[in-house]
Amino acid sequence: MGFDLAFALSSVPTILGAVGTTFCVALVSCIGAAAIGFFFEMVRRAGGVAGLTTGFVIDFIRSTPVLAWLYFLYFVLPFYGIRLGSMTVGVMGLSLYYSGYLAEVFKAGIDAIPKGQSEAARALSLSRRDSVIHVIAPQMLRNIAAPLGNYFVSILKATPYLAVLAVPEMLGRAFDIASETYRYTEPLVVAGLIFLALALVISHGVKRLERRLLAVGAR
Amino acid sequence: MRTQSDSIVDIQGLNKWFGALHVLHDIDLTVASGARVVVCGPSGSGKSTLIRCINGLENYQKGTLRLAGTTLGLNARETAAARRQTGMVFQSFNLFPHLTVLSNCTLALRRVAGKGRGEAEDIAMAHLEKVRIPEKAMSYPGQLSGGQQQRVAIARALCLNPRIMLFDEPTSALDPEMIKEVLDVMVALARDGMTMVCVTHEMGFAREVADQVVFMDGGCILDRAPARDFFGSAGHPRSRLFLETILKH
Repeated sequence: MGFDLAFALSSVPTILGAVGTTFCVALVSCIGAAAIGFFFEMVRRAGGVAGLTTGFVIDFIRSTPVLAWLYFLYFVLPFYGIRLGSMTVGVMGLSLYYSGYLAEVFKAGIDAIPKGQSEAARALSLSRRDSVIHVIAPQMLRNIAAPLGNYFVSILKATPYLAVLAVPEMLGRAFDIASETYRYTEPLVVAGLIFLALALVISHGVKRLERRLLAVGAR
Repeated sequence: MRTQSDSIVDIQGLNKWFGALHVLHDIDLTVASGARVVVCGPSGSGKSTLIRCINGLENYQKGTLRLAGTTLGLNARETAAARRQTGMVFQSFNLFPHLTVLSNCTLALRRVAGKGRGEAEDIAMAHLEKVRIPEKAMSYPGQLSGGQQQRVAIARALCLNPRIMLFDEPTSALDPEMIKEVLDVMVALARDGMTMVCVTHEMGFAREVADQVVFMDGGCILDRAPARDFFGSAGHPRSRLFLETILKH
């Protein structure tokens, strides 16, 4: 079975039509995962019962398949009267799932900051909140730009899971074309290339951000 | 009543443990307004821990520590308010590497003292002038020498207009040729009448500015004396031995 370039090109508009959905789902999930992950890590660091519980939640999330989360949110929650749209569930599932991993990334980024930094913040009477916002978070970001970028690309690549919820994302569209025409090579290759392009854009953006962050106050 | 207004720090029977390790034994120390106390002693003697207790960076288990009239550790809000009366300078500078020298100085002015940007920058620049480094205001800490960083750290601590400055071995991490520029700033500060507690091995500095020298070993204050007497012939045998060792080398 050869590669029909004309057919491949003809599938591009349909698949590209889903790029927006894929990109939006990925973007919102990245923001959600980062926000929840950072919150988790802050609670875990604070310790106590809440901290221990959150640590357990983080480990639990990381030990379960992302598909299990999507199925659970989509099929189990309605039994308890919580009915959510497939797009909402998709974004929630990816955000929650990756928040567990990002919490670990944030932990590493904060652990790498010398203890003297938060001590200096305390000695200057900064509130805990100001210390996190103005002292800890910026230095953490600098430490973790690279792994954070990796996870953003991972989230992008996890969006095809949402096909099980019938979210019209890119790979699902490509597969629809394939099923209708019995030609699998072209649509899947096209979808793969578009994913590659998106991933390259994200990695490039992260690299630039990292370089800028590292340039500030370069030693 | 007089003692309350005259002494900024009043420590009585202070004891501290790190787990099972008893690091401070029955410390009594009073720092009067305008006093300049130098704390010295071998490493591991508890002197850094003591100075870190004074601004509440470390807690304590027994005794009382009054700072600016507030007993530390009873109430989080009051402890925080009392801490605002202090400025601290660390051995490793601890400047914020992602902020410019000026922003390092204005951060607490803006977030803690609630000053506007312009006013905060004016105050910060005045203190940077005082430590003779205003031309580096727009530089980042990583672009400065150790001595310059430590002078910025002093300016940063001064910005909140503290009543007492705490120095935790401010010159121990510096190359020899940079020690003087930092000590000069500290001497000038002392001349201006700043109350200070300084953990240091710089005996020349102690001789020049201290009005009381405290010698610690094994978590106890073994010897305390006016600087003149401390460096004279009197004193505890252990502190004499310590002095001989560090002055010889």
